[in-house]
Amino acid sequence: MAVPRPTSPEYEQRGRGFSSDKARPGGKLQGRFLNSGYALVAPYVLHLLVFFGYPLLFSFILVFHRWDVVTPMEFAGLKNFIRLLQDDLFFRALLNTGVFLSIHIPLQIILALFFAELLNKRLFGRAAFRAIYFLPVVVSGVVVTILFQQLFAFDTGLINNLITSLGGSRVPWLSSPDFAMPSIAILATWKNAGLYVILFLGGLQNIPSSLYEVVDLDGANAWQKWWHVTLPMLNPMVVTVVVLSTIGGFSLFIEPYVLTGGGPLNSTLSALLYIYNQAFYFNHMGYAAALGLCFALLILLVVLLQRRFVEREIY
Amino acid sequence: MPLFSFRAAGGGAAAAARSASAVAYPLVKVLAFAALLVAGGACTGSGETGGEAGVVRLTYWPAQNEHERRLATELAEAWNREHPGVQVAVQPLPAGQSSEEVLLAAVVAGTTPDVCSNVWPGIVSHLVRAGGVLPFDRFADSDSLLASRIPEALLGHFRAEDGRYYQIPWKTNPTMMMYNKRLFREAGYTEPPASYSEYLAAAAHVTKDLNGDGQVDRWIGYRDIRPIWWQRYFDFYPFYIGASGGRTFFEDGELALDTAAAARVFSFFRELYGQRYFPLTTYQGSAFLAETIATEFTGPYNVSWMEENAPPEMEYGFAPLPAPDGHEGPLYTYGDFKNIAIFANTKHPDEAWAFARYLVSKEADLKLLETTRQIPVRRDLLDDSTFADFFRRNPDVVPFARQAEYTRGVDSVPSFQEMLDAIAQEFEASAVYGVRTPRESTLGAIRRINMIHEWSLAD
Amino acid sequence: MKKVLIYIALFAGALVFGYPFVWMATATFKPELEIGALSPIASEWTLDSYRFVFDTIPLGRAFLNSLVVVTAVTTSVLVFGSMAGYALAKLRWRGREFVFMTILFTLMVPFLVMLIPLYTLVVQFGWTDSLVGVIVPFMMNATAVLILRQSFLTVPSEILDAARVDGCGELRILFSVVWRLSVPALVTAGIIVFVGTWNEVLWPLVVIRREEWMTMPQMVALFTVGGGASARLGAQLAAALLLGLPVVLAYLFFQRHFITSLASTGVKG
Repeated sequence: MAVPRPTSPEYEQRGRGFSSDKARPGGKLQGRFLNSGYALVAPYVLHLLVFFGYPLLFSFILVFHRWDVVTPMEFAGLKNFIRLLQDDLFFRALLNTGVFLSIHIPLQIILALFFAELLNKRLFGRAAFRAIYFLPVVVSGVVVTILFQQLFAFDTGLINNLITSLGGSRVPWLSSPDFAMPSIAILATWKNAGLYVILFLGGLQNIPSSLYEVVDLDGANAWQKWWHVTLPMLNPMVVTVVVLSTIGGFSLFIEPYVLTGGGPLNSTLSALLYIYNQAFYFNHMGYAAALGLCFALLILLVVLLQRRFVEREIY
Repeated sequence: MPLFSFRAAGGGAAAAARSASAVAYPLVKVLAFAALLVAGGACTGSGETGGEAGVVRLTYWPAQNEHERRLATELAEAWNREHPGVQVAVQPLPAGQSSEEVLLAAVVAGTTPDVCSNVWPGIVSHLVRAGGVLPFDRFADSDSLLASRIPEALLGHFRAEDGRYYQIPWKTNPTMMMYNKRLFREAGYTEPPASYSEYLAAAAHVTKDLNGDGQVDRWIGYRDIRPIWWQRYFDFYPFYIGASGGRTFFEDGELALDTAAAARVFSFFRELYGQRYFPLTTYQGSAFLAETIATEFTGPYNVSWMEENAPPEMEYGFAPLPAPDGHEGPLYTYGDFKNIAIFANTKHPDEAWAFARYLVSKEADLKLLETTRQIPVRRDLLDDSTFADFFRRNPDVVPFARQAEYTRGVDSVPSFQEMLDAIAQEFEASAVYGVRTPRESTLGAIRRINMIHEWSLAD
Repeated sequence: MKKVLIYIALFAGALVFGYPFVWMATATFKPELEIGALSPIASEWTLDSYRFVFDTIPLGRAFLNSLVVVTAVTTSVLVFGSMAGYALAKLRWRGREFVFMTILFTLMVPFLVMLIPLYTLVVQFGWTDSLVGVIVPFMMNATAVLILRQSFLTVPSEILDAARVDGCGELRILFSVVWRLSVPALVTAGIIVFVGTWNEVLWPLVVIRREEWMTMPQMVALFTVGGGASARLGAQLAAALLLGLPVVLAYLFFQRHFITSLASTGVKG
């Protein structure tokens, strides 16, 4: 490769092109190796092989066995998958995830877009607002979950107290099978909205004002501008939000674990929680691995479908 | 900031080598050290039978709780005094999630004791399959011991799949009903309710709003409404065993749920929750002690707990669980059995057997009663004069002793836990939330239990 | 007028996203009975909740465990990640693109698939109930490598060549030259790993069962779920507040960095 000639005296002395691939001064074989890309990347690759490659491959073996870790693995053929297809809790977890996503994603997008638009204006104190909106994103899920446990509590919860003081009646946020998952969806939206506000903000700021000017010339009003310029330009961002939220929805764990244990009536049983229970409560490692694999494939499928239908080309 | 120091001199290669190894060496050292720690930690030796020539040393694992450890120490000391040639050492169970997991892990690692008295019948089939425990027919007197010890009604219950015995039934905790005599008397009842309808009728009188604030303050009973599988040992499971006349879930390895009995139990609890005779909140601490509930379904371990914690003026008693209306014959209940097994790795099977025999002798059983108030599984418990004095002094234990013979444990099938979890979910759906009929719940439970069973069977 | 409306909306947003934290903080100082009250004012301020927390669980120990884990992981990720990122960005070697593709691939595999086999691996190594089991599987981070590589790509090669001419080995170049020029990327990667590791609760729950080795989020979660809190709401909130405090404090001082780091990759805390 051609390198612009530096002007240091050493280089002048050497009088030839200097490439990083050539021998080092001192040029011992060991020195060559330790300075090569191989040596530098070796720890990472080693770690990857042991802690990613091996488990990934092993999972393909584990799914055909029953194993409780203490006793030897038992070959089970396709039994894990047969069971999975008959397991109504597997389907329940899928349904619950669907309920979660169908509330969480739209709510998130609307809320995040709304505040992103507001923050896009030239205002005093923008940074402060941004910081506050982003705070829930940074804080641990455990903290947010415990907080919402108090907010959502039926008898002593803050939200119900607010409602009753305004004359309404208490809502069984977490104790009703119909409200529990939506409540968790609200919690998740509250926690992550700030992140997407920032993402959308970045997206909004990247829209060239020339596009707005063009549409202005045609006499478009604010709504039309938004619909025909902003939204399409934000499309990649929206796709990102949708995909990330979907993966997040399948990875829902600490919220149902702490708030409801998966209930009431398994209405908040999430994919990961079911895997966790199967593996660490009942010691069904092979079945849990099969569940993990199937959920992962489903995530892939869902994400591909989302990209197919939500993504639009931007000209 | 660079993590390692450099020397400017001496070619780049040497510096690089030193710096790379400065990274690599500590890492390798740490890893090697960690590996050594791990290896060292894993080698916690278990019982060794070495020592002085001629003295046989046995290791014995009792349960972890304080009462049983004390009992184990007393029994071992008594034995050691009588048998200087065979010395028994009591070892605490290694740490783990559950004693079942610990035992299975020990079988795999080869670190089993000689004798363990905390063997849950539910894992015996697992242990037998893993070749971890000894069958007793190799000991000449095993037949007579087992025949004389095991009550008639329980004889077949502890036989393994291959027809041999791998466990000596040691003790049980029959689930019965503890009731508050005063609360029932005030409601107009001198006797505790004996049938479902009597219980429900009493409930109507006992469950009350005491201070007129529109909220009920006292209930006839309480159950943890969360679908936790082992909570069902205190409601569905004992009631089901009672209603089915002593049947568990499986017979000869096949699911044989008594659907009528299961439906009756679901429907009983559905009524209790439907009429709000049981509260929907979770209690911390003892609601029975606080006299917030009039009955509690519990085992004999509560006898000594109540003795220690109840105020002297509190009047309470122990009775069998309510039976379904029109029930005939003895009423069975669930008893959490713990049995004695001898592990295959033992180097002294005959001595281990002798010690195991001692653990179920009259003298040892009396100590068991005295120290833990748990019920030894023996035929002649209430007849033999050895125990008469104890029962005279502890009348509260008598109902449990009477019930001991009519007790059933769990089926020795793999994944029983998860099957009970399936029941717990149906219980939540039909009894607590009332969204499924008892029949639907029973069928749902059967379907799921079958699915789990099919899945867990070896091909 | 429109501005006023906008401000009202922004304040409403701030209330929604911020007041719950204010409420939580004040609730931990209120007597147990007043916790459900809406207002942040209490009739009397008390430290009972905090006292109960420290009497019941070894939270200080858990804090130390978390600190050790986070420090070890962040250091390791930055050091080894830099090495890998540098090798991918600035060195030429056969298989470089293949390794890069593989790293990208690892980001696509959901943790769902890895959880169980990774756990069984850790059990086989004997690392359960120890911090080693929590640290080692996460010593490398693909996202960090990508961020660092991205940044290293922009370092002019002349500077590197000049350093080589001076006789520096690659590692020295990396840590004294390249690092100095890539501080923003290091901060970004560092924050992502710091926040992610501090907040991680599923993996410790899986690997650690003994109280003495539990990390802080794990201990607080179990305190709430396991009944150790005996339904004392104040104590649960106090534990939660203590858990969130370190990150919130760091956030207050480094907001801008936090926001740009975490938002740049869409990685959640």
